[in-house]
Amino acid sequence: MAKTIKVCTDNFGKGAQDIAVYKKLGGYTSISSRLFDLSQFEVIDMVKRSNLRGRGGAGFPTGLKWSFVPRHTGKPVYIVVNADEGEPGTFKDHFLMNEDPHRLIEGLIIAGWALGSRTAYIYVRGEFLPCIESLNKAISQAYVDGLLGENIGGTKFSFDIYVHRGAGAYICGEETALINSLEGKRGEPRLKPPFPAVSGAWKSPTCVNNVETLMALPWIFQNSPEAYAAIGTGCAGGTKVFCVSGDVKRTGVYEVPIGTPMMDLLNSPDYAGGIDGVLKGVIPGGSSCPVLLPEECEKATLDYECMISLNTMFGSGAVMPFNTTRDVVVLLNTLGNFYSHESCGQCTPCREGTGYAKRVINSILRGEGHDGDLELLLSLAEQYNGTTICPLAPALGQPMSAFINKYRSEFDAYIEKNPNHASPRISATHRPGAFW
Amino acid sequence: MNIIQGAVHFVANNKLTFEKGPMPIKPYPSAANQVGHKNKLYPQPSMEEILPKLETPAVKVRIADLLSRYPEPQGALLEVLWVIQEVLGWVPRESIRWASKVCDCSPAHAYGVVTFYTMYKQVPTGRYLLQFCRNICCEQKGASGIIAYTEKALKIKTGETTPDGLFTIVQVECLGACGNAPVMLVNDEFATDVEGGKLTMRDGITLTPERVDKILKWCYDRSEKYEEEPVRDALGGTLVGHKGHPGAPGSSAKPQEMDYAPACPVLGLKAVAEKSGVTLTWKNAPEFTHLVVERADGSSWKKVGEPSVKDKEFIDPTGLAGMAYRMIATSGDRVAKPSTEEKAV
Ligand code: FES
Repeated sequence: MAKTIKVCTDNFGKGAQDIAVYKKLGGYTSISSRLFDLSQFEVIDMVKRSNLRGRGGAGFPTGLKWSFVPRHTGKPVYIVVNADEGEPGTFKDHFLMNEDPHRLIEGLIIAGWALGSRTAYIYVRGEFLPCIESLNKAISQAYVDGLLGENIGGTKFSFDIYVHRGAGAYICGEETALINSLEGKRGEPRLKPPFPAVSGAWKSPTCVNNVETLMALPWIFQNSPEAYAAIGTGCAGGTKVFCVSGDVKRTGVYEVPIGTPMMDLLNSPDYAGGIDGVLKGVIPGGSSCPVLLPEECEKATLDYECMISLNTMFGSGAVMPFNTTRDVVVLLNTLGNFYSHESCGQCTPCREGTGYAKRVINSILRGEGHDGDLELLLSLAEQYNGTTICPLAPALGQPMSAFINKYRSEFDAYIEKNPNHASPRISATHRPGAFW
Repeated sequence: MNIIQGAVHFVANNKLTFEKGPMPIKPYPSAANQVGHKNKLYPQPSMEEILPKLETPAVKVRIADLLSRYPEPQGALLEVLWVIQEVLGWVPRESIRWASKVCDCSPAHAYGVVTFYTMYKQVPTGRYLLQFCRNICCEQKGASGIIAYTEKALKIKTGETTPDGLFTIVQVECLGACGNAPVMLVNDEFATDVEGGKLTMRDGITLTPERVDKILKWCYDRSEKYEEEPVRDALGGTLVGHKGHPGAPGSSAKPQEMDYAPACPVLGLKAVAEKSGVTLTWKNAPEFTHLVVERADGSSWKKVGEPSVKDKEFIDPTGLAGMAYRMIATSGDRVAKPSTEEKAV
């Protein structure tokens, strides 16, 4: 790539939190010059042509998602921005909203115009208070500037944006749980269907989009959908913001075109600058994605198809390499603790199953493992699939089976520390149950 | 903590017995039981004690503003609870009842919400709540060491408050700052260092024991400087200029107009000349109510047909290659601009 194209992170470090600076950098031109001449369908068509896919993890094509939102139902249409960034390893939205809140607002206005929405909510996780402050400041500036409110720019279009502060629940990143939380309820995922596009917040059509997805829209409008599609691969257009953490020389957020080889991101001096120590594995796409071995990383490119062909996921763009000094049993133990703590408690396989897995992993780590424990964990991971409302339990199951299958000898070494490892585990003592 | 360590199961003579299992379960300190349920017997203030603090003019204005943003008052529940926590420092039992009245829901519902989310404190904490991330990236970079160091420095354990009431340590899940792992939050501020008298988190700066010392010292200095921790005037800042959600209590906003956008033109028109005539295809939009196909006739346009909005294609039997076509769509009473002209090929 001769010239690196920055779609979302272009204004980093330029003080774009202020509307005057943001406008000087070319902000809000898509709205003043183009948007109000376009019909809703044309906007959606542009997004479809740009081949933009949702950046929150599932990777659903954004234009298609928008076209599912019904119009003229007599109910208001809501847009909810998912900024409840809780997936371990992901911190891009935090940076994006801190550095460039106006780009998010611009993207939201475009989305609001396309979907006929009157009100949008930005659901920000509770821990990001400084971020909420900068968003509220930016939104207030946009109101003063006439970009939000009633009859924007002399048209009949009215649009409001509010920030909704979450209160610390990982599960609220799931879109239906997020909607429940927005309605002032416990953040428990809902059964689908009905899908939020038809019946979401307050039983009205609702479109939930990730921060980064919306932030790509201004660029698409200022340039062209085709230019955006041309950056990426055939299956997904544009660039992706990756959050590199873990054992690299320079951690941080880096924007690269979709389809870049993973090792380029990790080794290039422009980006992460190389691995600290000897690479042992990489968790791509956030903690719920199966881990990749070094030889798989050599082959991996950062796009949806390649990740699926390697039996892992593109996810939310977190890349977590770890070196040979790290203990995978400890890492898996943290994951087990995390998911069992964050289970909302609706579905038995998740509420009991993640806790069960956690206790078995805990005991392996303490040197009290038994032969057959790994098979037990693998079979548990199998049983999470398809038995729960939301993908929280599979989000533990997938990395768990990948860790065990790929680093089996290390788990076995832990189990052998138990002098009685050959004796069977007394299942009664490990019976699932929150009150143990 | 008195957690039963072991297992209960039936033995042959059908008597319930207690067997000490081989796996003592170490309680995993979750934020909820650190500042939440742990102390159910904590003395709760009565409604009379908290009302004067909650029913001040400033709080009333904020609550009215929050209520106007949601179509139903219950939507504001999370935000109202935040206001309570900001004013009182924690969320006592009676204040939950108050919130439920404000948000028009049952007290049981509000209590369920408070206990679901980990960030509402159901017992007061120290003046500085130190929240350490102990998730995968932070753990990998040595979070447990940092936590152990802080516990030793303050001589308390996770979930406890120092006797002087200054610090409480809790362990939380990923804070969304993994690039700086390990990280911590001091109240609402990310902190991996102190620079210029302020808590900061900069690229590549991570917590080390020395930096923890610096942060603790910053807290001590601050507690001497200010009698009480200065509260942020409004959590998350204020929003100016909005009129609220249409139909919400106290809102004067009007709902979205149906036809604010220009009518939708026909997109993606293609004309293919075949033996049977010219076949036109296009992208249908859901809002079309009427379609007209026109053909160039010298310098003017002549109508050649009116396909139904459900049709996927239109055949002009008299059409020939090289003829130009365009389509005009109508949505309700709005006529869209003509589509692009297509020459049949
Ligand atoms: S894992 Fe600690 S902040 Fe994400």
